[in-house]
Amino acid sequence: MVVKEDYVLKSRDKWNKNKSWQPLIISIALILCLAIVHKAYWIGTTETNPNEIWENKQLTKNGNNWTISFDEDVGDSITFKGVLRTAPKFEVFRNDTFVPGKFSEGEGLVYSEDLYGKTILNVSGMRILVNDDLSKTFFVSEIITIKATLVTNISTFENNGEIITLEREGWVAETKDIELSSSKDNYFFATELLLLSVGLYFSLKQIKGLREQANLVWHLAKFELQKGIKSPRMIVLGVIFTLFIIGMGWLLGDLQNGDPESAFFVQNANGALQQLCFFVFFVVSLAAIGVSVDSFHKERQANTLNILLAKPINRETIVIGKAVGLSLVVGIPALVAQILGLIFMINAGDTPSLSGLIAFIVCGQIMIFTLVCFQLCFAISARSGTDVVMYGLGMWLLFAVVWNLLIYAISFALGIDVTAEDFENDPQFQSIASHMGMLNPGYVYQFAVGLLTHRTLAIDLEGIPGWLILLALVLWPITCLRIATKLFKREIKG
Amino acid sequence: MAQNLLKIENVKKAYKKYNLFGKEISRFSALNGLNLSVEKGQIYGFLGPNGAGKTTTIKCIIGILEADSGKITIDGQNIKGNSLYFKNKIGFLPEQVGLYGRLTAKESLQFYGGFYNLSENEIEKRGKSLLAKLGLEKDSNRKVAEYSLGMKKRLALCIALLNNPEILILDEPTSGLDPRGVKALRIVLKELNKQGLTIILSSHVLTEVQEICTHVGIINRGKLIREESIHGIRREIEKKSIKLLLKVKNFSDELAKALSKDNKIKNIQQNNNGKHDVLLLELKEENIPWVTDFLVAKGIQIFSIEPQKNSLEDIFLKETGGE
Repeated sequence: MVVKEDYVLKSRDKWNKNKSWQPLIISIALILCLAIVHKAYWIGTTETNPNEIWENKQLTKNGNNWTISFDEDVGDSITFKGVLRTAPKFEVFRNDTFVPGKFSEGEGLVYSEDLYGKTILNVSGMRILVNDDLSKTFFVSEIITIKATLVTNISTFENNGEIITLEREGWVAETKDIELSSSKDNYFFATELLLLSVGLYFSLKQIKGLREQANLVWHLAKFELQKGIKSPRMIVLGVIFTLFIIGMGWLLGDLQNGDPESAFFVQNANGALQQLCFFVFFVVSLAAIGVSVDSFHKERQANTLNILLAKPINRETIVIGKAVGLSLVVGIPALVAQILGLIFMINAGDTPSLSGLIAFIVCGQIMIFTLVCFQLCFAISARSGTDVVMYGLGMWLLFAVVWNLLIYAISFALGIDVTAEDFENDPQFQSIASHMGMLNPGYVYQFAVGLLTHRTLAIDLEGIPGWLILLALVLWPITCLRIATKLFKREIKG
Repeated sequence: MAQNLLKIENVKKAYKKYNLFGKEISRFSALNGLNLSVEKGQIYGFLGPNGAGKTTTIKCIIGILEADSGKITIDGQNIKGNSLYFKNKIGFLPEQVGLYGRLTAKESLQFYGGFYNLSENEIEKRGKSLLAKLGLEKDSNRKVAEYSLGMKKRLALCIALLNNPEILILDEPTSGLDPRGVKALRIVLKELNKQGLTIILSSHVLTEVQEICTHVGIINRGKLIREESIHGIRREIEKKSIKLLLKVKNFSDELAKALSKDNKIKNIQQNNNGKHDVLLLELKEENIPWVTDFLVAKGIQIFSIEPQKNSLEDIFLKETGGE
């Protein structure tokens, strides 16, 4: 009881101490409530686990009479919510894609000529036959709602020389019954964004001298930019990573025209763009180490920090100012390299979607800010310049080089046979890889660009919903910056 | 009654080390309940042996460090929670002057001036007059990397004065300066003080403190052990006995006994440097003629007389327990 009272008192004290952040905390709490309502809305209005219904179907083989039946009654209509696991364009029945008269157990039907022009959607594992060609209407990974009706029909097929009669139940839908879930999700997301903006606005409004501190951030950032951009180290790094990104851009463009059977074949321009993200991350993370070495640690050695700390500027402002300045030092040459890389990629291959191109540039700059803040944490806490470089290189190796090995190791520990052929297509492995990707800023960058190449944010990328990717994209820089400011502020305590 | 500009009350500060899990593994107490007060218009000399807590105190005043407990007030207002406001009232010159070598003096002033609520024109105008005052006008377009240490200190002083502070805090301002630089700095500080600026300086150079300070605070092991006006200290020095170094010939132990007889001499130290007998006598200033008359009367040849006055150093050593 005493512990509980102590906890309540401590919480109340903490709450009162963070007066300026109270509106933001309230808005985040409201957003969480709304997210629960959002989830409840989908659970209440749709069947959110179509795979369970599909897995519960019964295939009964009674001599030459086979039946496929579901627990639901024929004529029942259910609105399913799920992810398009496969691209509808590859699921359209055409006269060259199947052999009529053959039974497909996976799809639960017998191929016949009357299927021509129809699409069998894979909605989170559930197969639904749509009486239309959806190849240009819906795309893989999109989250949809589909109102399907259970129907029955009888067909025959040959199995080992015997004629089998199949009395099947199956789910069918019309194009008009399919909607992107974002048609509803967007209302929730917009309200959540509005709540966040309002909370943030009122919190920032309560911070004393915010405008002055913002001016100081820019003053310090300009100074860091002027110092860093002209440094020989940055000029050399800038040239190297520009050439590297241009080279990779050209290569990824050229590989789009290569042999589809080749291991290096790149399927489309959006895929190439996602791969180019990795190479951008690969080199700019090195540049982030290069620029942050000189920040706090070297300033402490040169005693320039003491004069700065005696000026009317917050410790947080110093960290933010330096983070912004150093991000620009890496970001400006990176922007040039990104644009040149894109030009070469588009010249050699196809043009990615416009939203993807914008995401590639914007998310790239966010990723650079994240990496700089990450490195600043080392620069603030390390005891020597060597430590800063060693810690930085260690993290670079982890994020950019050995991350896949880490995924393999964890997957193996969780019982996935990583020696099996084609194990990378195992949904469980893909799920582990994508969830772990949220812990790596480079992968978050790739996922974010991948997400934004789509027309909607209601996307599920191997188990990761679109909103989580955007949240990770926002949380990574904020968390790194918060840790850096906290570490620097801790020094005031001696 | 003089107004207290800066007051430090029972301030404690410890440097702590933590392990990876945030648990404290060691602690060094730098300030142990320090009390100190500086009045408007004073030049306050802050004395103490190495590790006494001088720099920690200065860092706590200017907000680089936060005191663990106690109160620091400026103009009666606690600086805790208002450090940005008070930083506008303070100018600081650190012991190790760290300036950006790639900038010129003018650019340095523009950069540091940007942290105050000053327009570029104001910074330029003030900077120009400060550079002229500190003799750096001709070198204002040279890169700081090309400056000598003395020039860097003067530039750092310009930076410290840019915001027209009420208090100027200098940590070992003359360290590394040549005698000419020391003299020039002393003149500037006295002039600034005449214009109403309150100055706090920490120093090891006791003669310098004696020369320019109006008040002295001696700190040891994080506590103030003595606070006094320079006049008070001078009076004490004058009250105390002085030492007289004499080089004589044919001095004997009998004569030493005779000299000590009337208690006019407190202490006699005697040795021979091969050429002369060297005597170090501790006595009151008024007894000097009696000593010389006594020795002449006894036929002792006096080759030199060198009075050795007590100084702030003696008081400092006495208070801090040094030898």
